[in-house]
Amino acid sequence: MSYAYLFKYIIIGDTGVGKSCLLLQFTDKRFQPVHDLTIGVEFGARMIQVADKSIKLQIWDTAGQESFRSITRSYYRGAAGALLVYDITRRDTFKHLSRWLEEARQHSQSNMVIMLIGNKSDLEHRRAVSTEEGKAFADEHGLIFMETSAKTAYNVERAFINTAEEIHGNIESGQIDVSNERYGIKVGMNTGGGGPGAGGNNVNLRNSANAKSGAQQGSGCC
Amino acid sequence: MSRLPGFLRRTFSPHNEEKSSDESAPSSSPSSSHHSSSNDNDVDDDDGRTHSCATTRTTSTATVASTTTTTAPIVLRRGGSGGRQLRAVAFPPLPGKIIGGDDDEDGGEGGRGMGEGGGIDDDEYDGGKKAMGAGGGEGGGGGGIIGSSNHAVFPSSSSSSSSSSSSPMTMPAVPKTYRERQFDAILSSPIASLRELRKLAWNGVPLHMRPIAWKILLGYLPANAGRRETTLRRRRDEYRDAVRRHYDIPDNSRTNAEQETLRQVLVDVPRTAPDVPLFRDPRVRRCLGRLLYVWATRHPASGYVQGINDLATPLLAVFVGERLGCGVVVVDGPDDDGVDGGCAGIGIADVLDGSRMASITDGMMEEVEADTYWCLTSLLSGIQDHYTSDQPGMQRMVMRLEELVNRIDAELASHLRYTGIEFMQFAFKWMNCLLLREFQLPCVMRLWDAYLSEGDGGFEDFHVYVCASFLVHFSPTLKQMGFDELFQFMQNMPTDDWGDREVEILLSSAFVLSTLFGGSDAHLNVVRNTI
Repeated sequence: MSYAYLFKYIIIGDTGVGKSCLLLQFTDKRFQPVHDLTIGVEFGARMIQVADKSIKLQIWDTAGQESFRSITRSYYRGAAGALLVYDITRRDTFKHLSRWLEEARQHSQSNMVIMLIGNKSDLEHRRAVSTEEGKAFADEHGLIFMETSAKTAYNVERAFINTAEEIHGNIESGQIDVSNERYGIKVGMNTGGGGPGAGGNNVNLRNSANAKSGAQQGSGCC
Repeated sequence: MSRLPGFLRRTFSPHNEEKSSDESAPSSSPSSSHHSSSNDNDVDDDDGRTHSCATTRTTSTATVASTTTTTAPIVLRRGGSGGRQLRAVAFPPLPGKIIGGDDDEDGGEGGRGMGEGGGIDDDEYDGGKKAMGAGGGEGGGGGGIIGSSNHAVFPSSSSSSSSSSSSPMTMPAVPKTYRERQFDAILSSPIASLRELRKLAWNGVPLHMRPIAWKILLGYLPANAGRRETTLRRRRDEYRDAVRRHYDIPDNSRTNAEQETLRQVLVDVPRTAPDVPLFRDPRVRRCLGRLLYVWATRHPASGYVQGINDLATPLLAVFVGERLGCGVVVVDGPDDDGVDGGCAGIGIADVLDGSRMASITDGMMEEVEADTYWCLTSLLSGIQDHYTSDQPGMQRMVMRLEELVNRIDAELASHLRYTGIEFMQFAFKWMNCLLLREFQLPCVMRLWDAYLSEGDGGFEDFHVYVCASFLVHFSPTLKQMGFDELFQFMQNMPTDDWGDREVEILLSSAFVLSTLFGGSDAHLNVVRNTI
């Protein structure tokens, strides 16, 4: 399956905020109430449409525990977008955002688009961080903001696509040079570039055993 | 395995546990002719069996005269099931209820009480008694443990009294395999030879012997059989004390870091092996959370790192299995439970499905927890720098893996490079969780039989060889895949239908690699041609 661009994403945030569930909901459209702990990094991919262009998202879902920071740090390299996730029912995950942001800014390229996500919006009765607070934090730091629920799928699609739209906008405005790989973007080849097994669009590489591979660029993706 | 050079092939006898009695008979004692009649109620058979074991016995510290016991069948009755009886076919667990003697049902005397039950050859089961009986006398800590004592071995404890009046059935003999007798010989000798045990266990430990074998291999139980009981008691006391000091305290007397650890552990426990019912049991979860927290507070250099929770699961499952009589043959009487005289055993699957947890008392659980704690501590002590800051041990192992694959399967290595996949991306988890995420628990247990037998150098090196063999095993498939597919495949390695046999093939090819690469690069060409 050909694509106009490939965007590399990274999902970051404290452990247990629902990073893997967001990815699973986005790639597989399903929710797994009890998800295995992510160790190191997991991977997922999916095609989306932005401004009539096919864009392939290649998403790295990182482990949230502090101990894995030295491993996960390397995934910022060449990421075009980051989803920074906290859990609206756990205030500490919100309090750690500054630390995450600092880390992200330090290790990523300056044009990386960061989407702040307050996840678990379905648990309104247990809310510990108000929408306004989330919004204020995002405004202060120049992030896009959204509340989502990986369980009900609320805003999940939007979160991934809005980020892509923002990145795409940056390409159109000339802010990002797509020929430079460090921006986490690849220009797709429309013919013949696909690797073996070019098939379905949605791949969650951890959870859908039967998913077909998405398009694979011959020269590698990283 | 067939591809391995013969001279290097580790002697595998993968299915010893399943060996029929006939197969094992030739190497047993003269009485082995009895063994084939495994399903009739011939006491002689049993006599023969115990006799054959007695030949391996050396000296004894037991308090019961063996002459009165060698002729008695070893029969366990499972509480509440009338004619249904458990039979200890081999080394522990020991019966909580022994037929043919005055059973001490009260359990007040702990390990000693078990010996006095009579009807069992204490000599050959000495080690087991030491290992298993220790719970008995230590009732002091916490209500749960009091009274679990003698019944520690089997779930029969709480209900067995009620059934003790029904008359026991003479048990048919279930002959031990040659391999089981080999284990018996080692485990029941006054000083178990660690070297021999490792050699034997590397090739797989029979289910019911796994708990004690692992405990000895991990250095939790001493080789000296006479000291096992006191060691066990002391260590369990120590653990109970640690729980009291570190866990059973108000939150405000914990440091911030400890509070964070506790929170993390409690969040992670429900996410540990979530697809295995055993680990959804509330008591198992509590016990896992507690032991992980205690471990973390006592090992501040690394603290709790995700993945350590995974490593506790095989241990916990094996030690719960011990209490359920996993691997011990159950012989059904012809009555009340509707099954006529068949033989059935509790397998690993019965342990993992959690359905029998009701028969595990709180006291047993407490002991299982302590055993798991100490064995986990011992396991982790060999790989401590896997979990310290920046995880240097992990990085080292991934690098070694990559190097190794470069050498043994250059084509695969270059294909992986070509697609842009990095070893760190997929192999980190293999190292951090010792392949636990790649296999079902029964396979992991078999793998660990070998790991724990690796000896003083530990299993770290060997694990890298196993990972290399594992990856190369799928080489033809992997080489057809692009990046996305590769990652998909590696996140779901297709091992669901793997059993001991497949694990053993993996182990054997890893062994070949380790032999060839034991510090020398000179044999690279040989490896290329043989793998």
